Amino acid sequence: MKSLEDYQLIIIGGGLSGLAAGIRTARFGQKVLILEQHHFPGGLNSFYYRQGHILETGLHAMTNFAEPSNRHAPLNRLFRQLKLSRKKFQTHEQIGSEIKFQTHGLRFNNDFSFLESEIEREFPGSLDHFRNLAMKVQEHDPFALSKWQSTREILSITLRNKVLEDMLLLPLMVYGNSEEHDMDFGQFVIMFRSIFLEGFFRPEGTIRDFLDMLVEQYKKYDGEIRFQTKVAKIVTHKDRIQGVLLESGEEISCRAVLSTVGIPGTAHLSDWPLELEAYSGKMSFMESISILPSSQRQSVRSDSTIIFYNNKDEFHYSCPDTAIDDSWGVICFPENFQALEEGDVFQVRVTNPANYEIWRQAGSTQYEQLKTESYTKSQQTVGKIIGNYWKGAVFQDSFTPTTIERYTAKAKGAVYGSPLKIKDGCTPWQNLFIAGTDQGYLGIIGSMLSGVTIVNQQLLQ
Amino acid sequence: MTRDEIRDIIIEIIQDIDEEAEFDGLDADAPLRDQLDLDSMDFLDIVMELRKRYQITIPEEEYPELATLNSCVNYLEPKLQSVAVS
Ligand SMILES: Cc1cc2nc3c(=O)[nH]c(=O)nc-3n(C[C@H](O)[C@H](O)[C@H](O)COP(=O)(O)OP(=O)(O)OC[C@H]3O[C@@H](n4cnc5c(N)ncnc54)[C@H](O)[C@@H]3O)c2cc1C
Repeated sequence: MKSLEDYQLIIIGGGLSGLAAGIRTARFGQKVLILEQHHFPGGLNSFYYRQGHILETGLHAMTNFAEPSNRHAPLNRLFRQLKLSRKKFQTHEQIGSEIKFQTHGLRFNNDFSFLESEIEREFPGSLDHFRNLAMKVQEHDPFALSKWQSTREILSITLRNKVLEDMLLLPLMVYGNSEEHDMDFGQFVIMFRSIFLEGFFRPEGTIRDFLDMLVEQYKKYDGEIRFQTKVAKIVTHKDRIQGVLLESGEEISCRAVLSTVGIPGTAHLSDWPLELEAYSGKMSFMESISILPSSQRQSVRSDSTIIFYNNKDEFHYSCPDTAIDDSWGVICFPENFQALEEGDVFQVRVTNPANYEIWRQAGSTQYEQLKTESYTKSQQTVGKIIGNYWKGAVFQDSFTPTTIERYTAKAKGAVYGSPLKIKDGCTPWQNLFIAGTDQGYLGIIGSMLSGVTIVNQQLLQ
Repeated sequence: MTRDEIRDIIIEIIQDIDEEAEFDGLDADAPLRDQLDLDSMDFLDIVMELRKRYQITIPEEEYPELATLNSCVNYLEPKLQSVAVS
């Protein structure tokens, strides 16, 4: 197939959705170019080095664990679609995680019946209600295009227990909900399956190895990728895209564009007249990483992979009025996966909800101070749960909503993007499509599935 | 291409899509989907692979023609008649 255009497809963004979409199209012989503004691939889910340690920016855990033999599981489907060997992909399952509220605690791992027994123990009489919910989850097809349904409403009718409802929602919301307060039931189903029914794992090695594997696969199919290349404009003509204009002034033509930079980001590049406020997510986070010497292991209570905590009577998933809200959050021990070798240091990562506007307004003068204050507040609270881990830390670093915005171009640092998604990936332009976070599948595995799905539906036929 | 050659190509393509696929005892008149546990994404891969290798386009409404190994061969035979095995 000859064409006048420079490329058949240009993908804006070399994050996980862009890489997956790139492999999928290049695999069938299309001429594809990925444009990434940074030096590295990975976007929200990347890495950096400090004092000789590799620090992963996104990965707490991957979701959707499945044994290689389970052909139809999303993880294995994804691998087949990208023609990556699932058998050669080594995984480490979680040890076990915990949802910790003031009055109740629930533990879970990758065996669903364990969660059931925990619910029976903590909420006698609620197990049947929980099983009814699990049945609803199994029966629901989250991929059929359907109307928004309130998860809160369905849970309150099915579970009839507000504490249990809040406890189940905390991990599912913090790992994949772009809306405040409530969640679309379709999204709840996706998250329930990927966390409670399938479960957490991490790949062998670091996220860097995982990204290398994807880039290598993409290049094997002659896919091209350019780093430090920022798209300044999507060039439109009537209802079609002609190509992209780079910040350097260079113009590249193509038959189609797949944008992974979110709805607001895409609107900005294409002069798409949108009511942007409705597409700006409010949920952003501050994350702090501490590296501790292994001698400290005994003094830190770290028998879980991830602890989801909430110190209030109720759980409110919303943007706080203060720089951060330390009353709820996530504590992750990236070393606590099965059969990982102990190194001479280990990490603790803490995530709390944060208010983008406050961080933005802090400007350069107050930013560092706000960071120290917020970090100190968070570590006091977390210290009460796992012990004073921060004493003796050899290294600490935090990133905030403005860091997320700067490194990923996610408007207002909204990790999960717009509360309104475009499920079919279509835009007002016939040959411009959206994939990744604002298409609707979230997380590492989710965003990759998003890239693959949009390519299958819109670009391969 | 002969019918046997087409048959081998289909098997080769499926093998390539699924490292686990088992062809021993495959019934050529029974649905591939059930016997090899293929899903719609796998079928899309077969179609795309045929397009990449032999430039043949198969419209979506004709996917059912690919249901069994024999129906694949019947359907592809006229399309691949003039193509030599590479
Ligand atoms: C702190 C944190 C922890 C997380 N933890 C987990 C976890 O434990 N498990 C999990 O599954 N998920 C986790 N996630 C979520 C996961 O990382 C994301 O859902 C996923 O990586 C999103 O991928 P994406 O491709 O949609 O978007 P992005 O990663 O944002 O990719 C978009 C890319 O586009 C580039 N770009 C933007 N504008 C331009 C432009 N104009 N020109 C060129 N390039 C441009 C950006 O640099 C970026 O690389 C976490 C995220 C964060 C922030």
